[in-house]
Amino acid sequence: MPAAKRRAVARPTSGEPSRQRQASRPSSRLGDLERAVMEVLWSRPEQESCTVREVHAELAGTRDIAYTTVMTVLDRLAKKDVVHQERDGRAYRYRAAASRGSMTAELMRETLTDFGRDSRQSALVAFVEEASADDIAALKQALAELSRVDPADS
Amino acid sequence: MTTLVLGALAVLLAGPVPSLMARWHVLRRTPRAAMLLWQSVALGAVLAAVGAGLSLVTDHAWRQEPSVFGFVVAGVALTLTVIVVGRLLLSGHQVGTTLRALRRRHRRQLDLLSYDGPGARVLEHDVPVAYCVPGMNGARVVVSAGALDRLETGEVEAVLAHERAHLRARHDLVLEAFSVLHRAFPRWVSSEAALAEVQLLAEVLADRAAARVSGAMPLARALVALAEGRAPAAALGASGVAVGGSSAASGSSLVTRVTLLRDVGEHRFQATLLVVAASGVLALPTAFVVVPWFNSLA
Repeated sequence: MPAAKRRAVARPTSGEPSRQRQASRPSSRLGDLERAVMEVLWSRPEQESCTVREVHAELAGTRDIAYTTVMTVLDRLAKKDVVHQERDGRAYRYRAAASRGSMTAELMRETLTDFGRDSRQSALVAFVEEASADDIAALKQALAELSRVDPADS
Repeated sequence: MTTLVLGALAVLLAGPVPSLMARWHVLRRTPRAAMLLWQSVALGAVLAAVGAGLSLVTDHAWRQEPSVFGFVVAGVALTLTVIVVGRLLLSGHQVGTTLRALRRRHRRQLDLLSYDGPGARVLEHDVPVAYCVPGMNGARVVVSAGALDRLETGEVEAVLAHERAHLRARHDLVLEAFSVLHRAFPRWVSSEAALAEVQLLAEVLADRAAARVSGAMPLARALVALAEGRAPAAALGASGVAVGGSSAASGSSLVTRVTLLRDVGEHRFQATLLVVAASGVLALPTAFVVVPWFNSLA
């Protein structure tokens, strides 16, 4: 039984075809690594930079990771402009280009702009569009009617 | 004769037919069949237009002793056909590359900033949003912490089931195709009405899939809660977080979705009728292109 249960828990996206999940696995591992590295940089006080060795030391405590891997990941992040790279003698020092909060706010702004954009250029599929106060009143009315029709469901 | 029929068919399928279909709201009761019909009408219009152009060319330039007038007509027809096909290809390229670049960028940022939640990526932000980023092998379902705060467990399940239904059915590809059509021919044909209606049908289909998983009520409550939660987001828009121009009709489509949740009937007769119509709309232009060709062989 425990094996079956573990399998059930490991499949939160039970509706998706397995092909899609497998295909996304390698890139999501890299994504994990990049996120872990960013978290180390974000945990530092603002404007304080780290060497590859410092980042590696912090990550090695929780996961099995090679020094060169950390170096590669930091290099990739610098190319994407999410970390700043500065020369310090013979080594490079790295710091996050922006705090986690401001990067999240920026992403959210782009998301909301996309939702509001002319539909033919919309890259994301929103669950609900924007609604005015009148729309919300009508929406509540429709919800009330639905719950009258379908009381057993609520 | 062939040219005339194909030309008339192209005009009908590009203009009056879609504009009637957009107004005929009964179609929304059978969203899957309606979606099929929309796709075949669009494809049928393109087929008929290209077929009409090419048959005009062959009629006037491919005979025993072509006249000068015949060559002029053929030249004009060929030019028009090339323009139609060219616009479609160009628009397809532009829409495709723009969307893919935007999604790739969004996904990269998202992977850095969000964490793995229950069946979705969770973004630490107070504005309640739920959406999906479509893609071949990098599709993501995203909810914000603000949305999770506002919704109960069953409602979250409903939202996630809705978004996963979009990804599973690849609604993004259908919407992309109609976006391409609209961008290629923004005027004179009913491409805007088509795009808006297909968008609504995709939502209705995803709503139905979600209601089967979690029940209609949790889904409807989630719709209302998130629409309401986004109202302060508009205020946020005034104070820095810019929200682009939104269409006036968008809010009422939410009401339509909740209203349609009440309708659980299959409407088999209507669905069958629409599927037959969809096949006919594709078969007709194909037949008119293929039959003369067969006759000339015989």
